[in-house]
Order: sequence, then structure tokens, then C-alpha cells
Amino acid sequence: MKRKIANLGLSLIGPIALIILLTMPIGPLTGGLGIIQPWGGIFDVGRGIQHQSVEYVTLPEAISGATVVIDQWGIPHIYSQNTEDAFLALGYMHARDRLFQVVMQTYLAAGRISEVVGGEDFAISTDEFQRTIGLAQSAQETYDWYVANAKNNPDVNYTLRCVQAHVAGMNAFIDSMTSDTTPIEFKILGFTPQHFTPVDEFIWAKYMTWGLSGGVEDLTNQFIRGSLHNDTMYSELFPDVYPNTIPIISEQYNLSISDYPDAPGGYPAMIVPPPSVSLDATPIARIPTEKLDSLLDITSKTINLLGNGAFVGSNNWAVNGSKTANGQAILANDPHLTLQAPSLWYEVQIVVLDENEPLNVQGGSLPGTPGVLIGHTEHISWGLTNVGADVLDIFVEGLNPSNPMQYSYNGEWRDFTVDKEIIHVKGSADIEYDVYWSVHGPCIDSVMNTYDSDTDTVHPNIAMNWTGLGVTHEILTLGLLNRANNITDYYNALYWWDSPPQNFIYADDEGNIALTVAGRFPIRQGYSGKFPITALNDSVGMISNIPYAFLPRSVNPSQCFLQSANQKSIDPASYPYTILGAQSPDYRGERIYTVLENSTDITVEDMMRLQADDLDLTAEKLLPYVLSAWNANGDGNTTIQGIIDLLEGWDYKMDTDISAPTIWIYLLNETRFEVFDEVRSAGLKASVVQIPVLEWVVTQSIGYYIDDHTTPGVRETLNDILIRALHRTAADLYNLNPDPNKWTYGNYHIVFIDHLAGLTYIGGGPQRGSAYTVNAAPGWVVQHGPSRRMIVSYTETPQYYTVYPAGQSQVMFSPHWDDLFQLWYTFNETTQHYGYTLEYNYSTPAAFQAADDGTMIEYIIYINPPPDMY
Amino acid sequence: MKKIDNIIPDLGLIPALIITIVFAAALQLSGSWIAMFVAGALGSLFVGRHRLAFLVGFIGVFLGWLILFSYLIFTAQALPIADFFVSQLGLSGMGWLVILISCIIGGLLGGFGAILGRSIVELVDELIPEHAEPETPE
Repeated sequence: MKRKIANLGLSLIGPIALIILLTMPIGPLTGGLGIIQPWGGIFDVGRGIQHQSVEYVTLPEAISGATVVIDQWGIPHIYSQNTEDAFLALGYMHARDRLFQVVMQTYLAAGRISEVVGGEDFAISTDEFQRTIGLAQSAQETYDWYVANAKNNPDVNYTLRCVQAHVAGMNAFIDSMTSDTTPIEFKILGFTPQHFTPVDEFIWAKYMTWGLSGGVEDLTNQFIRGSLHNDTMYSELFPDVYPNTIPIISEQYNLSISDYPDAPGGYPAMIVPPPSVSLDATPIARIPTEKLDSLLDITSKTINLLGNGAFVGSNNWAVNGSKTANGQAILANDPHLTLQAPSLWYEVQIVVLDENEPLNVQGGSLPGTPGVLIGHTEHISWGLTNVGADVLDIFVEGLNPSNPMQYSYNGEWRDFTVDKEIIHVKGSADIEYDVYWSVHGPCIDSVMNTYDSDTDTVHPNIAMNWTGLGVTHEILTLGLLNRANNITDYYNALYWWDSPPQNFIYADDEGNIALTVAGRFPIRQGYSGKFPITALNDSVGMISNIPYAFLPRSVNPSQCFLQSANQKSIDPASYPYTILGAQSPDYRGERIYTVLENSTDITVEDMMRLQADDLDLTAEKLLPYVLSAWNANGDGNTTIQGIIDLLEGWDYKMDTDISAPTIWIYLLNETRFEVFDEVRSAGLKASVVQIPVLEWVVTQSIGYYIDDHTTPGVRETLNDILIRALHRTAADLYNLNPDPNKWTYGNYHIVFIDHLAGLTYIGGGPQRGSAYTVNAAPGWVVQHGPSRRMIVSYTETPQYYTVYPAGQSQVMFSPHWDDLFQLWYTFNETTQHYGYTLEYNYSTPAAFQAADDGTMIEYIIYINPPPDMY
Repeated sequence: MKKIDNIIPDLGLIPALIITIVFAAALQLSGSWIAMFVAGALGSLFVGRHRLAFLVGFIGVFLGWLILFSYLIFTAQALPIADFFVSQLGLSGMGWLVILISCIIGGLLGGFGAILGRSIVELVDELIPEHAEPETPE
């Protein structure tokens, strides 16, 4: 008997060891090795992407059901008899195809990413930063506003119903999730998704707002200005308007102030702004250098799903019938955001057949958001580019020397409000974290964990005043814009768009084109807004906003086209208000402007070619000076001559099969390096100066900057400097590869679209373009650029062309993981443009099915169909 | 009361193996690898010794999982999925290794389950008293 008991005891060792082995985390595989079983683990996703030609889904919250036609690209076309079921189906589809993405972005925005990925340093510091800027808190305030106003405002009521139905749809998918349909990422991470709440939808919207209009530019400005110690130089090198800028708005069109008396979002407006403050008169609040460095370092390391702020950009334009071959308007848009897999975008068509509340909208939605952000209805279309204006100011609070928990405001000491945050960490103990708030907003230096100190130099006191905090109404705009069918609807929808500021291009089937620089732009008093300031009372600060009626706007301009590429919104000399910030270098905008201005009989193909355009204006404008310098004063160096030979005759196109673009990337940077020795001498990188300023120095022969101040007694000429840049470029290139035949641009300039959690990637091949081409492709490894291309042509039956660099499915083994990427990436040498899908746009499922030639419809999902349909 | 080993005959290696394969494939469809302990234990009922039980459990579940993987390779992209998984560990193009390791793990689950099953059976049989067979009436 004892032997039998001993045998039993010994035979338990193996099973126990295996249970431990199969459940313990191994490196990144926190789900344990048990997930590699054939059934019930990761291999189930291979079955989950298989579909019957007809599928039936039961969702408890559906009223009368919906029909979802999945087209050949995996794009859902949702048809429903009522609004709630349509958005329930949208939420279900978002979760079904993108649940991991929605979870990640929601948790990231809310400062909860440590709950998913554990206690990695980057995760905790990102969570602390997100808690600090208070997106979740603002989202809750915004949701409360919707609930409070839904009774009296039918548009708010409609939008709130969409939000609630959409959340219910996502949760219904979570409830119905099987091992087959659980994202593989969750299995690897060992994470079980929880239900979403309506507030989560606003959190994601807030995150988008932060990514497109947040940041700590004021701190960077102070750092640069403080380093230069020369305000004249600062003004010249960092101007409010870049030289040769072609602003977005050429002919201002005001709406009636009596129709729209407020600022966007219903915020207070001021018709006559106070005088602006010049740079010389701008008071500046000193922040200790160490603290400034630390803050800039921390903020630079936080995750930004929308992409590096320096690369966030976009193009959009519209031409009216006077310029097109068919006499109808054409609209184009390609937002430049981070290229990620799965994409930020999810294509969808939503049709509600209810006569009282009809809807037919199609385009790019953001998974987790109830509606189409960029797209079209039956009669109008719209697209976005980022404005990039400065709508965030830094206030340095004056601390009470005897009590750093207080700050001075309006002649009294006020207590900081302290939000006690608890960060839950997967597999570790919770982290308690305090965020300090002043009257101006959250103190961003709360992230520095110095609150135990009593010294006012390190105690949190750097508050952030940002228009994106508090109640914002971007989702309300979607609720309106998705139902808009004429230009008045467009005006009414954009009235609510307060954050983030965006350039909304517009075209319709009546031939109208318009562009509104939409958003809430603060009016400042007593300071410029460019640098941190100490405001001891409420006479200094954001005192009001630009009225919506007077926002920069153009409608059917005499030039017959409109364009924006993130450049200056409007010429400050002709506009009474201040849109702060130089915004982006406008080489893309200038190229688009020039092409459209010189074009007639424009076709859709022309617009596709313009979206693919890779002519680099920086090269066209600056390279001739370099070649001229070499021809005039070259030293006969054969190595340099070899480089010059490769550049001579180049058409300035950043193509992948030649060497000239590679040379130009280096040459442009080295020219900037040689010219701005003054900046380098101040301890800054020359690259802080933007290329339009370099162009100004070179083309206008600005002697002060051309001269190298590190060589006293010698006055360099422009040719001297450019030849020195050539020598440095040669060294760079031979360091890159000693064989000039290997300098081909496509060997180094590649597109690489990383999975959201870095588990895999799409791409890896050569990529045309540069940071300054219309087909934006910044950096050597391109991870930002046209995140979605769209062209709308108002022929008799409107044609909608779209594509984005990934696919509809989050499953990397699905054909819809990267099928759209193949279109987006493949450049046709004959047509000189990339591929697009021509959207299927049918108003009923029956019409879609009748038109199907056997290739258009992949399968159909019936949500809560009538019993006789099974 | 009869002892378990007296109720269930010792079928020998091959029949016990076939039975274990069927149990392994069927129980794995539940999606739980824990069930492979049960598959191995059930297989061990048909052999009389611990060593043979381990062999039956190991090979039976190994082959049961291999059959499932073969099906999944042809119908549900098991190899690309395995490639993806192993790439997370810094290896590429070695999806077959994941499947092999998975089958070995399955085999170990079955084998140790069989040993455990065999031990339980023997302990239970030890607890059941031996009864003399009643005499057959003439």
C-alpha cells in the first residue's frame, strides 16, 4: 500500500511541473506555452478568419437587426432600419476586426497600458504621463456634457445614441468572443479584454486630439531661445511665417456672426482681439535647465500612436468644375500619420433606411469611434489635414516659499488640487501617483516624481493650459457631418469642431468647394503663447476665442481650387486674429498649389498622380546653388566631381532606382549644418532650423548666417560653405557605402509598417518620396506618410477611390491583413500613380447583391435576422 | 466489487495506443491542454505497467496532436501561425519546430497523465479487497 501511495505521489511531479511550465510567462509570451496546443490556443485564429457565405449573429441589444455585406476587401457595408442597430453593428465590426487595437489605444489614452503589458519602464512612464495630462478626466467631463444636453439638443441626443449603441456593439462582440475570434495578441499577452464604457470612446477621441494638437512646444521654444541668447537671431531663424509661404486661405469667406455668434464648440468668442505681444515684450518664466531637460526627455519618450509630431501632416485639395475635364468638382485627401498595422483607419459604409433619420455615409472610421472621420455622404465629401497651430500654453506657477502646495493667483495663495491616481500594473503592485492641478490645468512636471521635495525649484508648478482639455465636441461634429448633404450642413457641423484644429476640405455634387480651418483658436492677452509664462492673475491668459464665423475659411474661390498641407493657415497681415505657430514648411503645399494652378481639364488620374508626386522642391530650389558653387569654385576633387556627375541632370524626383536622392538627403543636411554654425555654437543641433529658413539664407545670400563665425578673420562666401557641405556629404556617403554604385535610394529608403505591439510588420521594400514631397515619406525607414489616400470625383455617378497601407483585418494570417497595402505600395510606372479601390456604394443590400458579379461580395452577416431567414 | 484492472483488459500496446489517439484528438477539441492528462490516464487503463502506460500516453497524445496539426496545416494556416509565434522568440522560418515542440508537450501531458492514471488505478485496486470467486455449482 505504501508503495502505491508513493507511486501516486511521484506520479504527480510530472503533471505539476508541466502545469507550471505551460502557464508561466516566457519572455514576451506572458500567456505561457500552453497557447501552442492545436485547439484552444493560437492556432484557432486560423479558423477564426474563415467565413461562410452567409453568417448569422445574434446581438442581445439589437432592435430590428442589420445586414452587413462584406465586400472583396473585407470592408463592411452596414444596412439597418434604425440608427441604433447601425451603430451597434459598427461597434461589433470594429471589435471583431480590430479589438486588440481598440483595447490598446483606449488603455494607452487612459494611462492604463501597464494593465495590459505589465510593468515595463516605458509603460509606467507613459501611463504616468497620460494620467498627468488628464485625458480620461476630460473624457468623463465631455461624456457628462453629452448626457446633460441630450434632452434639449436633438443632435447631441443622436450622437449620444450612436456612442451608446457603438459601445454596446463592441461589448456584444467581447461577450460572444470564442477562442477562434480572440485576437492572437491577447493569447500571447494572456490578457482578457473587459467591457468598454461610453467614456472610453471619448478617451480615444481625446487621445487623437492630444496627438494632433498637444505637445510641449513652448518648452522647446524656451530651450532654443535660451540657448541662442539672441532674440534677433531667434526671430529670424524661427519666424512666425516661413519665407515664401503660400497660405492655405487666399480669399477669406466669413459666415454671419449673427448665425454663429460663438467660437467653435459654443465657447465664448471675442470679435476684436487685444493687441498681440511682440517677442521683445514677451515675458518669459524661467524654468531651471535641468527640469526643462528632464521634461523634454520624458515627453519625447512617451508613446504616440498617431506618430511623431514632427511628421504628422497631410495633404488635401479640391478643384471645382472650371478646372476639371468633366466640369464637376474633385476632392483629394491623404492624412499623414504613423503607418501602423493594423491601420489607424477602418473603411466602412453605414446606411440607415429610416425615413425620419436617414444616413448614408462611407469612408474611413477610426476603430473605437462611432462614425466616419474622413469620407462622403450621398452629396458631399470632406477630408482633413492637421492645422498644427499652437493651442497649448505653459504657465509656471509662483509657489508659496513657505508652502509649495500653494501657488500665487489673483493676489492670494491657492492650494493645488491633487488628483490621486492609482496605476494598476499587470503582475506587480499598484503604483500611487499624484497629479497636481492649478487654475491653468495639470502640472506636467508631476511626472518627475519630485513631489517629496520642499524646494520650489523641483516641486510641480508647470501647468498646461490646452484647448483640448475639458469638454470638447469632435464626436458631435461627426454625428452632424455624417448626415450632412449640403454646404450649410457642413458649416453647421464644423461649428462644433473645437479640437483638434483641422483643415476641413469640402466638395459636393453641386460643384461647391470649400476649406475651413476649423477648431477653437484661443485669443491670448498679456503674453504671446510661444513661451512659458507666469500669470499672477486672470488678466494674462487665454481670455477668449476666435469666432467661428471668422475662422480662416474659403468658399468657391476665384482661383477655382483650394489646398492645404499643414502650412500657415492665412497671411497674418490680412487676418485680424493670431493663429499661433509657423506650422509646417510648405513645400508640399507649394507643389500642390503650383500643379493645380497650372492645370486644366483635370482628371481623377491627374489627382492620383499628384498624390504620388515625388518631386522634392527643396532640391529644385537649392541644388542649383550647390552645382553653381562647384562649377565656379570647385577644388577639382575627383570624388566630389563624381558626386556632382550623379546630381547633374537629376529631375529632383525622389525615385528609388537612382543615387541622386540619397546624395540629396545628405547634402541638404550638411548644407544646413555648415550654414548654421551659430546654432551649433549655442549647443543646439542645426536641424532645429527648418529648411525654408535655410532656403531664405541661401537664395537671399544672408551674409551673417553664411559666414562661419567659428573662423574669426575669415569671411566665407556662399560658395565656400556649399563646397564644404559637399565635402562633408562625400564623407557621409562613403561612410554609408564605399561603392557609389550602392548609393541607390531604394537600398536605404524603405517603408516599414510595424505591428501595433511590434509582433510583425508589413512592407520592407523601397519607398519613393521624402519629407518634402507630396507623397510624404520622411526618414530613411519610412514609418509615417499617407495613412489613407482618397479621391472623390463628382461624375454623374460619384466615384470614390480609397486605399490605405494595411488591410481591414487585425489577423496577420488573413488575406485582408495587407491586401490594401499592396495597392497602396505598388507604383505603376505607366500610369505614374499608386493603386486604389473603387468603393462600392449601394444604398440597399439588395442593390449591392444585384450588382455583384461574383467578385464584389465576400460574405454577408445577418444580425438578428427574422426567424424565417435561418 | 471487482478491481479496475480486472474489469478493463490489458489490450497491449497498439490497441491502447489507438484508443489514446482517439481520446487525445477528441478531448483536445475541448480546447484545454489539461484534458490531455485525462486522455493519457484513460489510455493507461488498457495497459498494465507504468512504463507502458507512459509510452501509450506519450505516443498517443503526440500522434493525436500531430493529426490535428496536419488538419490545421491544410485548412487553417497552422504553419504560418507557428512561424509567427516562433518569430517572437527571435527565430524565423522554424514554424515546424513549434508544432514539433507542441506535440512533444502534448506527449508529455499524455505520458504523465498516463502514469498518474496508472498510479491511481493501482492504488484504488489496492483498496478494493480480494474476493474469492464463488464456486460453480455442479
